[in-house]
Amino acid sequence: MASVDIVNVKKSFDRAEILRGVSVAIEDGEFVVLVGPSGCGKSTLLRMIAGLESVTGGEIRIGGDVVNDLQPRDRDIAMVFQNYALYPHMTVADNMAFSLKLRGVARPEIDARVKRAAEILGLTGYLARKPRHLSGGQRQRVAMGRAIVRDPRVFLFDEPLSNLDAKLRVAMRSEIKDLHQRLKTTMIYVTHDQIEAMTMADRIVVMREGAVEQIGGPLELYDAPSNLFVAGFIGSPAMNMLKGRLETGARTGFSAENGIFVPLPANAAPDGLVGRPLVLGIRPEHLRIAHEPSNGFEVVARIVEPTGSETQVTATAKGAEIISLFRERQAIRQGDAFSLEPILGHLFDATSGDRLATISI
Amino acid sequence: MKKNVVHEILFYLVVIFISLMVLFPFLWMLSSSFKTQTDIIAWPPKLLFTPTLQNYEKVFGEQDFLKYFINSTVVGGLAVGLSLVLGLPAAYSISRFTQRRLALFILLARLMPGISFLMPWYIIFSRLDLMDTYVALVLSHMLIALPIVVWIMSAYFNSIPVELEESAMVDGATRQYAFWAIILPMSGPGIITSVTLSFIFSWNNFMFSQVLSMEKTKTLPIAVYNFVSYAEVDWGGVMAAAVAIMAPAIVLTMIFQKFVVKGLTMGAVKG
Amino acid sequence: MRQPSFVERHLRVIFPLPAILFIALLMIFPIFYTLALSFTNWNLTSGMPMSFVGLRNFFRVFAEPRFHDAVWRTLSFTFLAVFFEAVLGTAIALILNRAFIGKGLAKLLLLLPLVATPVAVGIVFNLFYDPTIGLANWALSSLGLPQGLWVSDATSVLPSLVIVDVWQWTPMITLIVLAGLAGLSEEPFEAARVDGATPWQVLRHVTIPMVMPVILTAVILRLIDALKTFDIIFAMTGGGPGYASETLNIMGFKYSFEYFRMGQASVILIALFFFVLLCSLGIMKLRSSSEN
Repeated sequence: MASVDIVNVKKSFDRAEILRGVSVAIEDGEFVVLVGPSGCGKSTLLRMIAGLESVTGGEIRIGGDVVNDLQPRDRDIAMVFQNYALYPHMTVADNMAFSLKLRGVARPEIDARVKRAAEILGLTGYLARKPRHLSGGQRQRVAMGRAIVRDPRVFLFDEPLSNLDAKLRVAMRSEIKDLHQRLKTTMIYVTHDQIEAMTMADRIVVMREGAVEQIGGPLELYDAPSNLFVAGFIGSPAMNMLKGRLETGARTGFSAENGIFVPLPANAAPDGLVGRPLVLGIRPEHLRIAHEPSNGFEVVARIVEPTGSETQVTATAKGAEIISLFRERQAIRQGDAFSLEPILGHLFDATSGDRLATISI
Repeated sequence: MKKNVVHEILFYLVVIFISLMVLFPFLWMLSSSFKTQTDIIAWPPKLLFTPTLQNYEKVFGEQDFLKYFINSTVVGGLAVGLSLVLGLPAAYSISRFTQRRLALFILLARLMPGISFLMPWYIIFSRLDLMDTYVALVLSHMLIALPIVVWIMSAYFNSIPVELEESAMVDGATRQYAFWAIILPMSGPGIITSVTLSFIFSWNNFMFSQVLSMEKTKTLPIAVYNFVSYAEVDWGGVMAAAVAIMAPAIVLTMIFQKFVVKGLTMGAVKG
Repeated sequence: MRQPSFVERHLRVIFPLPAILFIALLMIFPIFYTLALSFTNWNLTSGMPMSFVGLRNFFRVFAEPRFHDAVWRTLSFTFLAVFFEAVLGTAIALILNRAFIGKGLAKLLLLLPLVATPVAVGIVFNLFYDPTIGLANWALSSLGLPQGLWVSDATSVLPSLVIVDVWQWTPMITLIVLAGLAGLSEEPFEAARVDGATPWQVLRHVTIPMVMPVILTAVILRLIDALKTFDIIFAMTGGGPGYASETLNIMGFKYSFEYFRMGQASVILIALFFFVLLCSLGIMKLRSSSEN
């Protein structure tokens, strides 16, 4: 087990800059998820930690030692790949034993470790099979088994669940989390799926275009996104965004460019922000139906999608699309006009995108 | 419905016609090899005749056929084996480090007319006293086998995900060990394709052996060719010799049909 | 902490190096040797010392009618053979491109000419073409046509050789086009049928355009090999009767290994080399344009 320190790490291929100075301090035993849209550099960063890509600038330390110039085999890490990378000509047992054999571990010790890993992952009955005779979920487990027999200092996962179907993905999600609780080894996990990130991580690193946007616990990112990008990326359905300005005086509220006026209580509007170009962000679940129409803004329901546990309503207001999500059942039907009021919103600077204030009503 | 039946019958007639066009030289060769000289020169050509083995007895008895057979096998086997040794790492390197110029360089050996290096070889091998040796023949046949191995195997390696080596490297292997212990053991189909194809091309090669070999290392195609020159009129014997030389290549092809088709067509299809 | 070994750091050089050295030694060096010889008057049998003669070999060879004929013959043999192979090969592929009983067998049969030893093929066709006992003349006479002399006559020798090449290599085009057709996705064909195209229109406007790149590559591969045709010509006619079937490859072979006039032989080889190079450039161009 070990901490992983990523200090101002840079990477360029030819002239293209993939990582532009990324710093993350990962504590011993932590489960950290790197998340971001494709091309943000998260996989490259993971591969640099593994030693599969060279480091253009900065420093990567595992357990305090700089590993920049170490070969992958000398870093004492294990990695689970997106396509599992199982060795097709070896049995499940041989797949798991391969790394131990390379390290010259004694045969009885290898057998014991493989047996233990197989038990943890429910693979005991499949040890003699070749990978091509396994289902997707079983292959996934073998890939993890190959990692855990090693008892490495750090586990790396590169989108390990993206080849599985939705149901299996949810099951494996909790299995990996469970595994982490059991092994207490540092794990670094790359995904483009923010739900995976939210459900699994101790801490999430949100990346975009080769830079870190925000680092924090799942709820921290959800409750206090540091900028528009994180706000839009975390949470599903995505946060509603309205461009406009705060108004005080005759009426207090947020006046959007498209004409929507979101009334706010007089004490809720932070003083220093009045008149500046802003973006108001409201999560769908932070909208509720205003029984007093003057407290809200009017929308027309376009699509109503009940799932039983909740109801998602996509509505339009002056050309803008507003999504709201209700836990309680609503009698809204397509074409109905009604008013929505926010219970929580975030104000972002329209040019820099930084979050300036959070207002709760 | 009726139109369909007619259509089907027509289709199968065409297929049978095509097959006969492809087959007739083989059939003619085979039947002539079992004919006596009298039956062969009969006019009109005889379709029904009493088969005889005398041509085969003559070919295998009077000629040093076994020796030539062994020569062909040794030269082809060594050339293909050594080409694998040189070609597999090169193909791996081309595939994994995307060395396109290197691929073209090796492809050049497949494209250039053999005679443009045969003449200098003749001079150089004569000077080095290597004429009529296995060394000269194997080296020349390697120039046939190596491009085939590299061409087929680099395409094959491209189809293997690079994560397999990366995984092995994370597991503690060096890249060269990953190539040896992970990539090669799973490259069976590609290796079969390249070995079959390059062996057949070496087996069939005429020009290199014609110049570089004499009595000691003579290969089968030369023996068959000489047989014609010496025994101009003994058609039965010549046909028996032709059957003997084609048989191994054809048997190999039948066993590895799938692989041979893949090897012959992939260059053009993969683009 | 271990440092990566020398081998590991330089793998991309070390792995291909033996193959590169081999090809440089056995191909590139000899080609330059040939080039150098073309400027000398070297004759292996005369025992005279080699001397530099500048471009004299080029003038001599280029002025020779025998050389002009060989160039012309090489090009017409190649063009005729590849033309028929392309047309027949594509047509057969289009016919066979459906499910039918015995398809596997048919594909195996198509493979046989490709792996048959060319020298032996040539000899079998010599028996076939034999004017007095051959099947060819028997077939002509039973159809009531006049008999021919085939490879024994200067006017018919080249077409007769073309027939052999077409027999041996048409299946190559067929197999390549079949593989290309198998790689096409079904949707455009279904879409065309839904749009009301007749089978003929589908063939003309969908199938052939889609498989065209594959046909072109196959044709260029064949062009390169047809230019270099040696075995069947050498085995069947040795370039005769007279010089009537002497292509550049045969002429170069004779100058090298029968007359031992190495300097002039080099000029002939360079000429052949040039035509092959032109076709090779074609294939590379095609490749890069299909990649974009």
